[in-house]
Amino acid sequence: MASKKKRTPNVQNDSWVVIAADSAVDSQRKDNDPTFVRLRNPATDAASLYMLSGGGGNLQLYEVKAFEEDFRSWFVGQTVQRDGRLLFVTQMDPLFLMLPYLIKSGKEGKFQRLDQMVMDEEFPACSGLLSCTRSLASMHHIADEKEVGSHKFHRYSQEKTMAWLKKKVEKTVLVLKKKNISVGEGVKSSSYIRVKLESDSSKEDYLGYAHGLISEYINKDLSKDLRHHLQLPELTSPKETEPASKKRKLSDKPVEALDDYTKFNSGDFARKPPKKMTAAQKNLAKVDKSGMKTMSSFFSLKVKAEKK
Amino acid sequence: MDTSAFDADNSVSCRLSSIIPDVCKTEDCCLGIDEAGRGPVLGPMVYGICFCPISKKEELKGLKVADSKTLSEAERETLFQKLDDAKGFLGWALHILSPNTISTSMLQRTKCNLNTLSHDTAIGLVQFALDSGVQLKEVFVDTVGPAEKYEEKLSKIFPGIDVTVRPKADSLFPIVSAASICAKVARDHVVKNWKFVENLADVDTEYGSGYPNDPKTKAWLLKYLDPVFGYPQFVRFSWSTAQTLIDSKAVTVHWDDDEEDGEKAAQRLANRSMLSYFSAPGGVTNPTQTHRFFTERRLKSLDTL
Repeated sequence: MASKKKRTPNVQNDSWVVIAADSAVDSQRKDNDPTFVRLRNPATDAASLYMLSGGGGNLQLYEVKAFEEDFRSWFVGQTVQRDGRLLFVTQMDPLFLMLPYLIKSGKEGKFQRLDQMVMDEEFPACSGLLSCTRSLASMHHIADEKEVGSHKFHRYSQEKTMAWLKKKVEKTVLVLKKKNISVGEGVKSSSYIRVKLESDSSKEDYLGYAHGLISEYINKDLSKDLRHHLQLPELTSPKETEPASKKRKLSDKPVEALDDYTKFNSGDFARKPPKKMTAAQKNLAKVDKSGMKTMSSFFSLKVKAEKK
Repeated sequence: MDTSAFDADNSVSCRLSSIIPDVCKTEDCCLGIDEAGRGPVLGPMVYGICFCPISKKEELKGLKVADSKTLSEAERETLFQKLDDAKGFLGWALHILSPNTISTSMLQRTKCNLNTLSHDTAIGLVQFALDSGVQLKEVFVDTVGPAEKYEEKLSKIFPGIDVTVRPKADSLFPIVSAASICAKVARDHVVKNWKFVENLADVDTEYGSGYPNDPKTKAWLLKYLDPVFGYPQFVRFSWSTAQTLIDSKAVTVHWDDDEEDGEKAAQRLANRSMLSYFSAPGGVTNPTQTHRFFTERRLKSLDTL
């Protein structure tokens, strides 16, 4: 029964289970199939997976998130798929991905052409962002614009960006409320279903939660600035919230025992009948313990187990 | 014996019973319990009870019921017919535990071992007799596990009934022999009529006795091992014979209650070492912590497919 199963490394998959909007996968023209691209994640600065889809001047950006838990597999038609992940392809505002490039160029303080700013040797696919429908039309949210002849030039604006991000946070708060997502501090499990509506979550809880969500899409500095802009209190680091280590109280008074143990010294104490078990203890005692290990066995030397 | 009620859906358990003789509702009765098919890796386990008024014990002896193991299948069949014909004073009831029930009980998260399953089934049948109005005074049981413990357990559950648990009770008390015949005949019928819910085309029924040490049974188990699904529901997955074959020949399947070494499991789940909680705070904060909206929902970004 206790045989150890060896885990073979996950082999590369050739299929995935994906949830995506119809609009993401139904491209009108056959030559414009949705494609997965690796782009720079603005929050982590590392590669993340995105999808570009929709041809004919209607290119949209989607982000790819995976629901991943241990011990999951799929039955797909007549096959078994070992990878039990569920991929979500959801629409995303391309401005988030362009922001880091604009901020970088913005440090020079000059108006520049977008295609000169949004360039990345590591992720050449990022130029595709410029073709996204929403990109050019919404650049004014994060940058100052200047038109010279037929050319448009842009320069990053921190002020505009903050205003834009604030709107994003406020919109997120509305959705959080509508979807009844618990944002309170004490709640740990999202699967816990509350009977009563959470009325005790303050406006600040919602703002803080939404700020945290938006921060998944912007870099750390920007997240900090946004927190300030929203007038949210600074995050306390766990270091500060940790209670000070207890120190023994020193006093001049003679130490006195708080409990009098001498009363247990009398002879009849030992012969006291065992206390009656509570209903819960009785139930516990009745549990089928066959095949269970004793608690002490978990603390024995590791060597034996490795030799098996 | 008509086992069609079970044959219709052999993935679940089923109770069959005779009509309750009227004398059993007015006179003090004795009841015998026995089972058939405890050991095989294939097919159901059947529990049987037989009951009759204590005054009719001699008549029961006249039917010459004997331990079912000493009888051939045909002899058991005739004896069962005799028992069933004695409707006037003798009643019986059966509980067929499908192999699927046995597998799922023994392999579920809170494990239920075969002894517990047996005890519960026996208790259920006695309760059924009581609920049907049988005036039970004596119960005779062939033991499962230590006899004294079982006797104590049954006496506690059924106060006022004289419970006798003995090993080999089926050869000691005619009423237990009768129960054992009913159980055995039912098992034979069910196994013979087994309809595989799986799509196995012309299934080979040459599986021998069904006991794990039978070479024919082993060969059959090897033949019908599916790398993904394991076995048809006819097989008790909880038997070590089946498990060993599945472990060695089929694809490995991991469940989240698999036994794993504590340390390794912790490593796999990327849990923090207990020691880290004792070191000075600071330095352990994760710089790129994902927002709890995503972690609570087990969502993560991907960098490759």
